[in-house]
Amino acid sequence: MKKSVYLLFAVLYTSCVIGQVCSIRLTGHVHSTSTHENLANATVHLSGVKKIIVTDNYGDFLFDSLCAGTYFLTITHSSYDTIVRTVNLRAKAHVDLDLVPSKGLLSEVTVTGIRELQNTGLKRELSGRELDETRGLALAEALSKMNGVAMLQTGSNISKPVIHGLHSNRILTINNGVRQEGQQWGNEHASEIDPFIANRLTLIKGVDELRYGSDAIGGVILIEPRILRNTPGHNVELNSLYFTNNRQHVLSAIFEQQLKKPASFTYRVQGTFKKSANVATPNYRLNNTGLEEKNFSLTAGLRKEHFNSEIYYSFFNTQIGIFSGTHIGNLADLQNAIAASRPDPTFTGQNTYRFDRPYQHVMHNLLKWKTDFDKGNHKFTVLIAGQYNQRQEFDVLRNSSVTTPQIDLSIYTISEEINWEHPKTSGFSGVIGAVAMQQNNTYTGRYLIPNYGAYSFGGYAIEKWARNDWDIQAGVRLDSKDINTTRLQAASRNFTTYHFNFTTFASSVNAGYKISPAWKVNTNLSLSTRAPQVNELLTNGIHHGAGTYEVGDIYLKPEQSVNVSLSSSYSNDSKTFSAELTLYRNDIKNFIYQQPKPDEPVLTIRGAFPKIVYESTDALLQGIDLSTVVALHKQLVLSSKYSMLRARNRLRADWLIGMPADRIQNELTYTLKDFRGFSNTYFSVEVQDVFEQVRVPGEMYGKQDYKDPPAGYKLLNADISTSFKRGTLPFTIRIAGRNLLNRSYREYLNSFRYFSDEMGRNISLHVKFNLEHFY
Amino acid sequence: MKKQLLNFGLLLFGATALMISSCKKDNDGEDNEEEVVTTMQLTFVPQGGGTTVTYKFDDPDGPGGTAPTKDQINLVPNKAYGVTIQLLNKTVSPAADITTEIAAEAQAHRFYYQVSAGSNIAISGLNNDAAGVPLGILSVWTTGAAATGTVKVTLRHYQGNPPNKLANDPVDSNKSSTDVEVEFNTRVQ
Repeated sequence: MKKSVYLLFAVLYTSCVIGQVCSIRLTGHVHSTSTHENLANATVHLSGVKKIIVTDNYGDFLFDSLCAGTYFLTITHSSYDTIVRTVNLRAKAHVDLDLVPSKGLLSEVTVTGIRELQNTGLKRELSGRELDETRGLALAEALSKMNGVAMLQTGSNISKPVIHGLHSNRILTINNGVRQEGQQWGNEHASEIDPFIANRLTLIKGVDELRYGSDAIGGVILIEPRILRNTPGHNVELNSLYFTNNRQHVLSAIFEQQLKKPASFTYRVQGTFKKSANVATPNYRLNNTGLEEKNFSLTAGLRKEHFNSEIYYSFFNTQIGIFSGTHIGNLADLQNAIAASRPDPTFTGQNTYRFDRPYQHVMHNLLKWKTDFDKGNHKFTVLIAGQYNQRQEFDVLRNSSVTTPQIDLSIYTISEEINWEHPKTSGFSGVIGAVAMQQNNTYTGRYLIPNYGAYSFGGYAIEKWARNDWDIQAGVRLDSKDINTTRLQAASRNFTTYHFNFTTFASSVNAGYKISPAWKVNTNLSLSTRAPQVNELLTNGIHHGAGTYEVGDIYLKPEQSVNVSLSSSYSNDSKTFSAELTLYRNDIKNFIYQQPKPDEPVLTIRGAFPKIVYESTDALLQGIDLSTVVALHKQLVLSSKYSMLRARNRLRADWLIGMPADRIQNELTYTLKDFRGFSNTYFSVEVQDVFEQVRVPGEMYGKQDYKDPPAGYKLLNADISTSFKRGTLPFTIRIAGRNLLNRSYREYLNSFRYFSDEMGRNISLHVKFNLEHFY
Repeated sequence: MKKQLLNFGLLLFGATALMISSCKKDNDGEDNEEEVVTTMQLTFVPQGGGTTVTYKFDDPDGPGGTAPTKDQINLVPNKAYGVTIQLLNKTVSPAADITTEIAAEAQAHRFYYQVSAGSNIAISGLNNDAAGVPLGILSVWTTGAAATGTVKVTLRHYQGNPPNKLANDPVDSNKSSTDVEVEFNTRVQ
């Protein structure tokens, strides 16, 4: 092993010393933040170089035969703000640049990293101003700003994203290039990622999902930090937020530095602290709903002409109080609590940061090492990542002297990936990769899932071709996963072991065509296969909080999904109107879901519990996402989003439970011209309209839910933001209000809808501060 | 520089190896649920002499698995019994007596006894917690003429902080939740 490491680095090192004399190539890619498209015809000027270059149809540009040194890169375009970027060129480099519409709302420029081959299937992203507006919110809340994404919640502190009706293990979350191996056994298990890490949140569905797994039935969420500094100097970004409703304060800081010597070394330190008190609904405050979160990450990179290496460590650590009025003893309790119009006063009214049992303590550690190097236009990447996730749940106990958790699950995961990108030739680009993963789970305390060891191996190949107005992409992936489980039942001394093996295949084809420069159509066909998770196979016990007895099924088969999507985007020449329409149809065979068995209650010493078993059916999810942006006036923009989903249980000829209701969102933004040093000043008002979910399963097979879905609701939100400089220091201040009318409402996808209203009016103050210093 | 690179690489591989070895944690995966209640046992001591009898609800493997067993409570007519309730966890060895924990946190717990109409059993004399609110580990059962019926025994746990337990709280108060609920069939003859 040691020898091969030496060898690897020896090869890399020799490749570093070749070609220092004015032979450096700088490539770049220009992308529009408003249309999410490659920006053609942008003028690119590099200081000291006489030639002026215009980006091609794909937004790409190239400068050849450059000498090492520091350059100013200027990009201009008639409809966009001009940006200037310092590039410290020592080796072949690539820059990604996001351009913001010139009448737009944001002047920050983000260099977004070494360009991956663009995914042209479904792609939605949050960055810049849109991402700034979500600062302080949980990851799922931020993602739910994207059209087609909803949120599955347990109260207001625990949330996970729902993409086109699918969530949890049907969505892959990629934390800085590494597939997140956290714990998603129940709806109350939220994503374990600090959204402040991200400079961009992207949702994709299409060929690129094959890089991460064959099981991305719902899609892939990429959490991408900005790339490390590429000019010597340092910069600081500070975000400080305060929310009035639950007195939440958030402080997040980033420090980045590239040394002058050695200039190839660059690093970042990032950290977030978040603390909140009990949440208030319009009529009462919910006890024990505080939260405390402490996260940090460290990134260090080494850059050479043909070699990049990056090490990344992130630590996520949260403690979340769970509303004490939902901790339910048995079915009768649950029914009583549900029948009450509001929680008992014993569980409301305290305004404190303190919280006690029941609460969760969740920790996630990720250590990643990624290295890429190129040789003759072949690029190789090696990625090794280790993850350790611990989830502890502290229940209410009779014996108050007990300090241990009642559920304690630890998962270790090691994953390895190696891939090869072949040289780009006449419009072709492609990547082939092999992956391996070892995972080990141990539990103590109450049984939820058994101990298990899992091993998986897989490989993928993706090829992309683009020429003129066509863009065609295709890929395949195969994975094989072995799971060995063990459980020793304390009472019966029954030792049970199982062995599972699943082979899963996935493929995807995508075709895009530009009918005119303004009008683009795209069609995607993706086949994904998801092996059942350990909890779906082997869970067995009372689900506290849900008041159910849940039983897994070891005979479940992998889910197979055939997803077809058609999308079309249009934006007129004067950029005063743009629209995007997506139609999708996801046909899922062996769709695993929880089926209540009202006729088979489980008798326990706490009384009878309704039994819920993991079953499979054939599901069909079809929907539409539509978004439009209309400039009503030079400074007044109306953006609208509409999403609709119809989800059927085909074997029962009925609706599927727990699917997001249709929703419409309209936002009117008025941008002021710059005045007296204030820039990017805007006011916006948003009306969020969520319909009542009327498409729920009937009672042919017994009662499927405890309570009918709540009524639809309308929320009024507003934002005011401005940027200014004090001395030379740039600040951005934003005041945002959510649920301004302090409406009492309940959301169908929040399991607390049985017990309590949603959060009332919440006004936040966000101060952002940037400082940059060049050496 | 070269040396630095090598050290960096070795360090990383070392760290990875460390993580892999730390995965090998020996734990067969044994359930260790605290506060499982498997058994409710009622001990009847007839006042004025007679044989002491016990009846129980027993689910030695805890919820799920083998179905629990439940005795019918048979009592003699026109007699008063001093009754003591006991909760056990038999998933551990030796069995744990949970009643002592309940007595220690008496202000957050309460046993309720609900007698069906016509069963000719009256239950009174529940012992109190320190604040003078019924706790119900001890009770007195008085039988009338021969009859059959049911008695539902419920242990409620007050999870609020403070518990706010009051004498007139009904058994289905939203202030408390059910820890144990067993309905016995009764026969007085």
